[in-house]
Amino acid sequence: MADLQDDIPTTTEVGEDDILPDAPPAVAVPLEPGRPRPEQPDAELLAQAHTLLAEHPVADGYSGLPWALRHLSWYDLQLGEAAVDTDVPRLREGHVGALFWSLHLPEGRGGESPVEAALEQLDLVRTVIEAHPEGLRLVRTAGQIIDARNCGRVAVVLGPAPGAVVADSLGILRILRDLGLRVLTLAGTVWAGASGLTRFGEEVVREMNRLGVLADVSGASPATAERTLALSKTPVLCSRSAARALRPHPANLPDELLVALGEAKGLCMVPLTAEQTGPTVPDVADHLDHVRDVAGPECVGLSGTYDSGVVHPRDLADASRYPHLIAELLRRGWSGTELSLLTWGNVQRVLRSADFTARAAQHRRDTSTARIGDLGTP
Amino acid sequence: MTAVAALDEARALLREFPVVDGHNDLPWALRKHAGYDLDALDIAGDQREHLHTDLPRLREGGVGAQYWSVYVPAEQPEPVAATLEQIDCVRRMLDRYPARLAPALTAADMEAARRDGRVASLMGAEGGHSIANSLGTLRGLYALGVRYMTLTHNSNVDWADSATDEPNTGGLSAFGREVVREMNRLGMLVDLSHVAATTMRDALDAASAPVIFSHSSARAVCDHPRNVPDDVLERLPANGGVAMVTFVPKFVLQAAVEWTAAADENMRAHGLHHLDTSPEAMKIHRAFEERSPRPVATVSTVADHLDHMREVAGIDHLGIGGDYDGTAFTPDGLNDVSGYPNLLAELLDRGWSKADLAKLTWQNAVRVLGAAEDVARDLRATRAPSLATIESLDGTRG
Repeated sequence: MADLQDDIPTTTEVGEDDILPDAPPAVAVPLEPGRPRPEQPDAELLAQAHTLLAEHPVADGYSGLPWALRHLSWYDLQLGEAAVDTDVPRLREGHVGALFWSLHLPEGRGGESPVEAALEQLDLVRTVIEAHPEGLRLVRTAGQIIDARNCGRVAVVLGPAPGAVVADSLGILRILRDLGLRVLTLAGTVWAGASGLTRFGEEVVREMNRLGVLADVSGASPATAERTLALSKTPVLCSRSAARALRPHPANLPDELLVALGEAKGLCMVPLTAEQTGPTVPDVADHLDHVRDVAGPECVGLSGTYDSGVVHPRDLADASRYPHLIAELLRRGWSGTELSLLTWGNVQRVLRSADFTARAAQHRRDTSTARIGDLGTP
Repeated sequence: MTAVAALDEARALLREFPVVDGHNDLPWALRKHAGYDLDALDIAGDQREHLHTDLPRLREGGVGAQYWSVYVPAEQPEPVAATLEQIDCVRRMLDRYPARLAPALTAADMEAARRDGRVASLMGAEGGHSIANSLGTLRGLYALGVRYMTLTHNSNVDWADSATDEPNTGGLSAFGREVVREMNRLGMLVDLSHVAATTMRDALDAASAPVIFSHSSARAVCDHPRNVPDDVLERLPANGGVAMVTFVPKFVLQAAVEWTAAADENMRAHGLHHLDTSPEAMKIHRAFEERSPRPVATVSTVADHLDHMREVAGIDHLGIGGDYDGTAFTPDGLNDVSGYPNLLAELLDRGWSKADLAKLTWQNAVRVLGAAEDVARDLRATRAPSLATIESLDGTRG
C-alpha cells in the first residue's frame, strides 16, 4: 500500500498557497467557561449544523474545478483527490448538494480565444462528469438539481463563464446555452463596461432572460450592475461578492447595491476567500450577517471558490468545511429558515425563476438577431 | 423511354427514396446576404432570385435529407466562433420550419424524417480550421449535432494537406490521424472532399469507419484536384464509404477547368486577385467572358462521372453532393435544388435500375451514417476521449 500512496499527487500541484493553516485545536488552549471559542464551534452546534445541512445542503455558487483539473494528468474525484480542494468524499462531508462549475480562466493565459477556451472547458466538464457517474450529475434546471439530489448525486451546474466567451454574438450565447451554460459574468466585455450596458449589452441581457441564462454582475461596474438589475426580468446574481462596507475589495458590493439587489430579489453569493471576506470564519460570518441585514435573507448565498487559486479563510480550506461555517452562524442566532435559504433555497428560487421567465419569454419574443455592429459599440 | 416518361419515373422513384445531399451552403448564404435574418430571406417562399435553395424547390427536387454545411472561411478571424454562429443559424432554421425540416442526428432519424415526408437536416463542418487544433472543440461540435467534418477546405490545416494548397504535411500528421480516430470514436463522418490525395489515402489507412466525400467527382473523368483519383475510389468497397458526386462545373467539365484557369490568369494579368468581385474586376471578367464564352456543363457531364465512379467504386459507394449555394455556376438542368429528377432521368436513360438509383440517392448515404454510429458504439466501449494535443503529437509546429 505504501508504494501506491507514494503515487498520490501532493497538494503542491495545484494552488500550493491556497490554504491558511487551520486554527489550533481547541484542546491546545484551556476552554474558558461560558461561550465557546468563536473559531472552534462546540460539538453541539457542529452536530446541529450537520443536521440542518443534511436537510438543506449547500448549493455552492463557484468552483474552479474545471481549470484545476485541466492540467492534471490523472485524478479520481470519486475516491478522493488530494491535488484539488474538491472531490466527492469531501463534497459529501461538507453536504454540498449542488455546485456551479466556473468556466473562468486564470488571468494572463494566452493562446486560445475565449470561445475556444470555453469549448475546451465544456468538453472537459462533460468528460469529468461522465467519468464520475456515481458522484456527479450535470444538470440544467432547478428541478434537475432536486432529481440529482434524490439520486444521491452532487448536481453540477455550468457557469459562470466570462462574458468574453460569447464573442459579442447572441448566436454563440445560444449555442453555449445549448451546451449547458446557465450563468454568464457580464464584466470584462465591451458591451458591459464602466459606463453601463450598451444597447447591444441590453439585448444580451434580454436574450439571456429568454434563454434562462443568469446574469452574474460580480466585478461589473456599478452602472452595469444597476442597469442589469433594472432590465432583467429574472433575479440577477453576484457569483463572488461580499460586503464592501466590511472590506474594500472591488468585487465586493457597496450597501446601496446590496439594497438594490435585495429589492430585485437577486442573490449575493459570498465567496470564502481571505482576500474578499477576511481570514477567519467569523470574518466570513460578518459578511453573511451584513448581506443578510442589508439585502435580506432571501438574497444571500455561498460561493466556495474552491480550486480557483485564491486563499481561503482558516478552517474553510476545502469543500468539506461548510458545517464549520454553519455552526458559527447558528451561534450567531441565524434561524433554521434563514440558513436553509442561505445554503439551498435561494439558489433554487433564482434558478426556478430563470427557468420560468425563459419559458414565458419564448412565447413573447423571437430569437434575437441583433448584432453588435447594428446596435453600436461604445 | 421518352424524356417525359423518364422524368415521371424519376420523380416516382424520389418519392420513395429521396435524395440525401451531402453539401449545401445555405447557412453561409444566409449569413452573407441576410446577416442571418431569416425573415429577410424566407426560404418558405420562392427565393429563386437570390438562392439555389428554398423549401418549395427542395420538395420539387425530391430532397429527403440534407447535410447543411456550417462552413466558415479559413481566413475568418475567429473560425470556431463563426462556426458556432453557423450552427445557431441551422438550429434557427429547424425551429422556424418544423413542418418541412426535421432535425436529424442518426440514420434512424433520417428514416423517420423520410417516413413523415420532411427533410432530415444534418450538419457538416467544412474544414479542420473549425476545430482550431483541438479535440475538445471537435467533441463540442459533435455535441452540437455536427455529423461530418471535411478535414480541410481550400488551404492546408496544421495537420492535413488540402487538394488546393502546396503540399506541407504530405497527407495527415500524427495529430491528423488522431483527429480521424477521435471522429470515428464519436461517430462523426470523416469527409475527404477538398483534401489532397495523400490525405485521402492516410485517412483511409487511419479510419475504422466508412468515410465520405461530401461533394467530389471523379478525377479520371475531369482532371481537377477537387476530384477523387481512381486508386482512392477503388478503396471505398473495403472501407464501406461513399463518394457523393458534385455538380460544380469547374470541377466536372474539363473545358470549364481550363476556361477557369484562363479566366483566373486573365485577372492576375490585370493585377487582380482571381476571386475579386469588385465592380472593376467584374468588368474585366465580363470582357473576358465575351471574348471566350464560358463552357457549359450539363446533366450528362455529371452522369459521366457517376458512370465512371460506379465502374471503379461500385454502386454501393455512390451518393450526391450538389454544393448548392456554395458555387456561383451550376450545370444546365441542375440549376438549383429542384434539378435532381433530371439527373435521375438521365441515369434511367443510361440503363441504371431502380434499385441502383435508390442506393445512389438514399440508401448508401444512410447506411454510411449508421455504420459510423455502430463503429462509434464499439470504440466508445473501450476508448476514452482522446486528450492528445497537436503539440504532444506533432511537436510545436502547430
